[in-house]
Amino acid sequence: MNTEKNKKIEDILSSLDGVGRVSAPDFFYTRLKARMERELVPEPKRSWILKPVFAFSALVLILAVNAVLIFSEAKPATSVAETDYIQSAASAYSINTNLTYEINQLP
Amino acid sequence: MVDNYQDRVYNTALGIVQNAQDAEDVAQEVFIQVYRSIQTFKEESKLSTWLYRIATTRSLDLLRSRKSKKRFGALQRLFGEGTDPVLEIPDFNHPGIELDRKENAKMLFKALMQLPENQKIAFTLHKMEQLSYQEISEVMKTTVPAIESLMHRAKQNLRKILEKNKP
Repeated sequence: MNTEKNKKIEDILSSLDGVGRVSAPDFFYTRLKARMERELVPEPKRSWILKPVFAFSALVLILAVNAVLIFSEAKPATSVAETDYIQSAASAYSINTNLTYEINQLP
Repeated sequence: MVDNYQDRVYNTALGIVQNAQDAEDVAQEVFIQVYRSIQTFKEESKLSTWLYRIATTRSLDLLRSRKSKKRFGALQRLFGEGTDPVLEIPDFNHPGIELDRKENAKMLFKALMQLPENQKIAFTLHKMEQLSYQEISEVMKTTVPAIESLMHRAKQNLRKILEKNKP
C-alpha cells in the first residue's frame, strides 16, 4: 500500500521529465511590437526653464530684486548735503534747474 | 532576438505562472525590459542567462501581485464589500505534456505553486527548460552546490505536499 503510494508520488514527480518546450503563441511578435509602440512613446521633453532648480533660482532672484528696491526706496532720495551740491553745481555751470517748469509755462 | 528567444522566455514564464495569457504578458514585458535596458547588459554573461533571469523575476512579480489581489479580495468579502468571486486559477494543463502524463503533471503543477520562490524557479528551469545546474546557478546568481541543495529541498517539499494532497 505504502509502496504503491510512493510509486504514485514518484510518477507525479517525474511527469515533467523530458517535457517539450512550448512555442510562443502565433503573432507574438506583432502583439509585442504593438505594445512597444504604445508603451515606448518618448515623453515630451520638459523645457529646461521648468526644471525646479531654475524655477527656484528665478524666484530667489525676483525676491532679491524686490528686497533691494524696497530698501532703497525707504532711504531719502537725497540728503541735504547732496541737494546743496547739486544746486551749487547748477549755478556754477549756469544750469537753470527750473527750466522744464519754465518751458511748460511758455504760452 | 525576439525570434530566437521568444519560445524560451514564454515557456519559462508559462511553467511559473501556469496560465497562457499571463505567460504571454510576462514574455512581452521581458522583451520590453530588454529593449529599455540593453545598455546595462554585461557581455560577460550570456544573453540567454540574462533573459531567463528577467523572465523568472517578472513571473514571480506576477505571482505576487496575483496573491495580493486574492488576499485583498478575501478581505473585502470579509467586510461584505467585495462581490467578485474568488480569484482561483484553474488546474493547469501544460500543452507540451503527453496525454498519459497530463493528470500527474496537473497535480505536480498544483504542488509547485506551494513551493518557496527560489525552489520553484530552480525546479521549473531544470524541468521545463532542461537547464543544467550550472546554467541555473548563473541565472540565479548562486553556486552549483546551492542549486543542488535547492533542488533536493524542492523534491522533498513536493513529496510532502503530494502526500498530503493524495488520499
